[in-house]
Amino acid sequence: MMMRGGRSLVSSPPAFSNDAKKLLVCTSNTVSVFSTATGLQITSLEGHTALVTSVVVVPPSSPAAKVLCYCWTASLDGTIRYWDFSVPELMKTIDIRVPIFNMVIPSFLDIPAEDKGKHRDLFAYVFTEDTKETQEKTKALRRQIRKCNLSKSRLVGRLILGETKKPEVLTVSPSGKFFGIRNKCKLHVWKVPDQGSEHAAVRKITLHHTKKITVIAFHPTQRVIAAGDVTGRILTWRGFGNIAFDGNNGVEKQKLINIQEDKPGVRDNDDADSCTTWHWHSAEVNVLSFSSDGAYLYSGGKEGVLVVWQLDTGKKKFLPRIGSPLLYFIDSPDPTLSAISCADNQIHLLKMPSMGILKTISGIKTPCCYPEMCKGLGNGIAFDQTAGLVALRTENYCIQFYSLFDDRGISEVQVCERNHQPGDDVTVIVTAVALSVDGSLMSTSEVKLAEEGIGGLVCLKFWQAGSQNKEFSLSTIVYEPHRDAGISAVTFHPSGNMVVSSSFGGDFKIWRCNNDIIQSDQMHQNFSWTCHAVGSYKKRPMTAAAFSADGSVLAVAAETLITLWNPYKNVLLAVLGETLTPIVNLSFLGKSDNLAAASCGSNPQLSVWSMSKLSLSWSYKLRIEAVASAVDSSSFAALALLPESSNETTFKGRDGVILLYNATNPVPTAIWSVKKAMGGALGFLQVNPSSVEEVDGKTPEVLLAYMNGDHEYVVFDPYCKDAHEVSISQKEGLSALELKGQGGQYGYASIYGELPEFDEKRPETPWVPSFPSERPWETIFSGSSHNLPPLTKLCSAFLESLLEKRTAAVE
Amino acid sequence: MAEIRAEEQTLAVSKTFLIKPKLKPKARTLPQTPESKYWSSFKSTQIPNLVSSISSLSFSPSPPHPFAAAYSASVSLFDGNVSPSSTISSFSDVVSSISFRSDGLLLAASDLSGLVQVFDVKTRTPLRRLRSHTRPVRFVKYPVLDKLHLLSGGDDAVVKFWDVAGESVVLDLMGHKDYVRCGDCSPVSSDLFVTGSYDHTVKVWDVRVEDSRSVLEVNHGKPVEDVIYLPSGGLIATAGGNSVKIWDLIGGGRMVHSMESHNKTVTSICVGRIRKENCGDESMEDRILSVGLDGYMKVFDYGNMKVTHSMRFPAPLMSVGFSPDCRTRVIGTSNGIIFAGRRKGKENVESGGGGNVLGFESISEPERRGLRPTYFRYFHRGQSEKPVEGDYLVMRNKKVKLAEHDKLLKKFRHKDALVSVLNKKSQENVVAVMEELVTRKKLLKCVSNLDTDELGLLLMFLSKNATMPRYSSLLMGLTEKVIEMRAEDIRSSDPLKGHIRNLKRSIEEELRIQHSLQEIQGIISPLLRIAGRR
Repeated sequence: MMMRGGRSLVSSPPAFSNDAKKLLVCTSNTVSVFSTATGLQITSLEGHTALVTSVVVVPPSSPAAKVLCYCWTASLDGTIRYWDFSVPELMKTIDIRVPIFNMVIPSFLDIPAEDKGKHRDLFAYVFTEDTKETQEKTKALRRQIRKCNLSKSRLVGRLILGETKKPEVLTVSPSGKFFGIRNKCKLHVWKVPDQGSEHAAVRKITLHHTKKITVIAFHPTQRVIAAGDVTGRILTWRGFGNIAFDGNNGVEKQKLINIQEDKPGVRDNDDADSCTTWHWHSAEVNVLSFSSDGAYLYSGGKEGVLVVWQLDTGKKKFLPRIGSPLLYFIDSPDPTLSAISCADNQIHLLKMPSMGILKTISGIKTPCCYPEMCKGLGNGIAFDQTAGLVALRTENYCIQFYSLFDDRGISEVQVCERNHQPGDDVTVIVTAVALSVDGSLMSTSEVKLAEEGIGGLVCLKFWQAGSQNKEFSLSTIVYEPHRDAGISAVTFHPSGNMVVSSSFGGDFKIWRCNNDIIQSDQMHQNFSWTCHAVGSYKKRPMTAAAFSADGSVLAVAAETLITLWNPYKNVLLAVLGETLTPIVNLSFLGKSDNLAAASCGSNPQLSVWSMSKLSLSWSYKLRIEAVASAVDSSSFAALALLPESSNETTFKGRDGVILLYNATNPVPTAIWSVKKAMGGALGFLQVNPSSVEEVDGKTPEVLLAYMNGDHEYVVFDPYCKDAHEVSISQKEGLSALELKGQGGQYGYASIYGELPEFDEKRPETPWVPSFPSERPWETIFSGSSHNLPPLTKLCSAFLESLLEKRTAAVE
Repeated sequence: MAEIRAEEQTLAVSKTFLIKPKLKPKARTLPQTPESKYWSSFKSTQIPNLVSSISSLSFSPSPPHPFAAAYSASVSLFDGNVSPSSTISSFSDVVSSISFRSDGLLLAASDLSGLVQVFDVKTRTPLRRLRSHTRPVRFVKYPVLDKLHLLSGGDDAVVKFWDVAGESVVLDLMGHKDYVRCGDCSPVSSDLFVTGSYDHTVKVWDVRVEDSRSVLEVNHGKPVEDVIYLPSGGLIATAGGNSVKIWDLIGGGRMVHSMESHNKTVTSICVGRIRKENCGDESMEDRILSVGLDGYMKVFDYGNMKVTHSMRFPAPLMSVGFSPDCRTRVIGTSNGIIFAGRRKGKENVESGGGGNVLGFESISEPERRGLRPTYFRYFHRGQSEKPVEGDYLVMRNKKVKLAEHDKLLKKFRHKDALVSVLNKKSQENVVAVMEELVTRKKLLKCVSNLDTDELGLLLMFLSKNATMPRYSSLLMGLTEKVIEMRAEDIRSSDPLKGHIRNLKRSIEEELRIQHSLQEIQGIISPLLRIAGRR
């Protein structure tokens, strides 16, 4: 029982199906198929064992074939696979044994005319890595463009079209006649040979520029190529390759043109008629695409604005404030639909001429990077135990609610009313987010950084959930809750009507909720929060806070000490011993009377304190990133970062371990090693039987969710037997269970057996009375006809019920 | 055939956020509940110079609801607009109580000589003189549903039921052991009434009972000053001492609630009505208005058992009245002033019903002319059509209204935005724009770019607001920076020097305040410490 999710949807460009009703998105080892109408996942293509790098949908050879759903995918595992993604079914696998960074299939784009008669081979051009270490070849130029015969399932021997240092993106022209790559300041364009033979000569031209080129695009009909560079310029060459590709005797023609000397803007002896430059983008251009009729050029870049250029006049139209750098722009066969992929893991489906967003396929948002001074303010991740959601802060000042079980974004709450502009200095930071146990209340804190010492502001905000779909509305704002000091932790009381916020300024405040129910419009609850008590201990900075499971004790860490308070009366109950470095994380361990404290710094420590004895029970010298405790049991999980020294040799790049402890026992009951543990988070989730499938006929009691620094997550049963075995073997042989999304080999198929689409249908099924109730003959025929089960079913049920009655009477 | 498709809703990529000032703290309790708003909407007028204490007030049940006030040895009639219309002064002693008949044509008045008189309201002539009481009469009351009889009681502890036309006593109701001070007739039955007496009891009488004994008796615990039936007829409210008590007569005289929010004797109570808008539909709710010698009028919601409004008057209050159309509320004081409150509003909130019984000549609506292409309106048809329930509404995106500084900030013209908002005289917005500039890290840049006039504006703003506690954390720092950065310009310009002088003055003032506050704190803190030790 294991679920993965939170993978990047934007690792490579997506592709539309031929009817534009589906969108194929590369999600690490799989290709997920989304419906463009609903934005929900339909199915996924599973089989690759490494990152899928390209997906190419086979275009229809005739209008009738539009419904066919075939695609080719290429992956780093060295295979090219052919799928029918409507079923979905793997049709064919081609193993070329070298990692494929990119693949284009130009030739089927222009087949239809003469394909009727003879069967031709299908060729793909792939960007691979030369894994064979040869002496003469320098390591630098190991990435090669090669040709692959898909019909015969092999690479075309010895034909290497080009070599580069880094894997580049192959771009194919919509007509299928050319493909090209960028290589630093140069641009290489190859012409696809007309004949389908293997060794036909592939001609190449090179265009030069003074800046590093980032992206290229081909015009659909004319011989026009556009390229964007790192400075934000867009260059358009018209009539490229007139000499090299057309003329049989290129040299003579070149001479002829040299006489004319009429090539405005074209550098050196590049083979093009003219070159024009547009400059609007302030930073590098990432997206460049011609519209299907060739009249417009779409461009976008780091600033998150999609620009539409009218090709003839150079007039611009904008889709501004997307809020995240753009990565890909894909046109669909349906002219009113296109998609843009953004760096914050969202794919927006655009309604085309107006450029409004129809739907958003929302992946988990990427972690935001903050300036150095704000590190150590927590990772801004909170788990909603009951609903299986995770709330995480995003770059655009939102809190994203992401369903761990459904693997999709639920909603976003705008915490600060600001528009995020990628590339701007970060001046407002959401520092903490806390959710109440039932998930209906949320508390966030944010810091506005001062400009040269003036204008800094700390805000504490309280939110309440609306009736549905986690739409939170603001109930209370507290400006400067602890004067100008920053908030170190915000925690909800188990009952939900109390919040404690601790500050580095040396005090903590307990906030209480007064809810006045306004009856006028349907029991609209209006929560307002007021300060109930203030506490401080020797003016020491308060660094962490936690409530016990029954809410009777509040533990607040005053740097190295732990102070225990009665939250209702605000009375200091006890002070617990001393750790070496400040405590950053406190957590009561379920219903047991133990408290776990994690401290960081030069002498990191994980310590467990017994509340009954008021003393330290045990401690480890570990750097703890996150601690999570289950509500009911006394076990807890800690995410520990491994020391740098042990990394290379024993853990193969895994930098963290999840340790599952029983509170009373210092020996961990299970260990898993993980990658990218820095900035990770742990949370126990309560099991909702409907959302989790059974393992060995019983549902697990709780699930543990681990989210790594890249917000990829895995949800698993920490008490499961398999997990135990894995952990034991791992202690000995260190063959760690991979928890990273990319390299994982563990079942993901089981999750996507149950799809959101099916979930929607589920509530409908109980309407059908498929088995007889006590007196079925009274109710079985009632209801509207389209709800009734088929007559055959009804009849048998009806007769059965009568028969039963009769036998009972006889006895 | 063209297919009609609903326009697909597209989402805006990102919203436009306006620059908003920080929220102000809201008071925990609303300054005015809708109810107290209602009660204070009665526009108060004083009717002074009425010689002595206003012993009784009575509203005519028929529109336009004139009212009568009894004071000294006379009764004044006031018309619907609270202006005096006429006075009856044919009394030999102080008038104690007055009551209108249910049709508003007759008025009964009792005086301390023991006489009860019935007047024609229009001509003010005494029609009947009912003499039987041997001691002063304290109350007289016309039954609600009966035009022929009258109820009175007085210091002889006898309650008399009169036949008015024959000037004869129908029933002598004995039972009270002390002065009878008040009474009321049931709004639902012509046979039932209650009387209250100084013997602390309230008795319920029924004329149908043969031996003239009271049907029910409740003990208020204090001499009863006033008693009324509540409109349902099942509850009565009694006033006596500092309390108003509500009794359930149907439940056998059980006390429902006791309201004890007056500080002195409650002298008079009446039923008031308030319009409640509850989930869309309007309904009238009844309240008890009580006045007392402490000068307070309290409004008591006996549905929720809560005092919903209270109002202070500068004299002991003796009597209260509330017009049936809910538009007039009158309160009589002990020093001869009537506080009359009148409320604007619709006339049609009649409680009595009455209304236009004979009004069957309802005006027929003019026939609507059908639209023809010759009319101009034909070409405008349908444009102002209201959507019917069930229509699918295609909402137009709401346009965000941008202020000038918002527009400028959107164009990244930071300095212009600051100057424009400084010209606007809204401190909150200025601070909000400054905060926005801080988050864009552009505030100091703006300050350095201001020319002399604009700098003058800024300094003027700072000198006015830098010491305001709400803004001081930002503005004090900014002031310091501004002076530091623009010292040269300030030195070279006289008007700017003037602003700096003002600034200095306000800061000195603030310092002085802080000093005195600290002194106070120094005095208080030892006291607090001592108090904390206990």
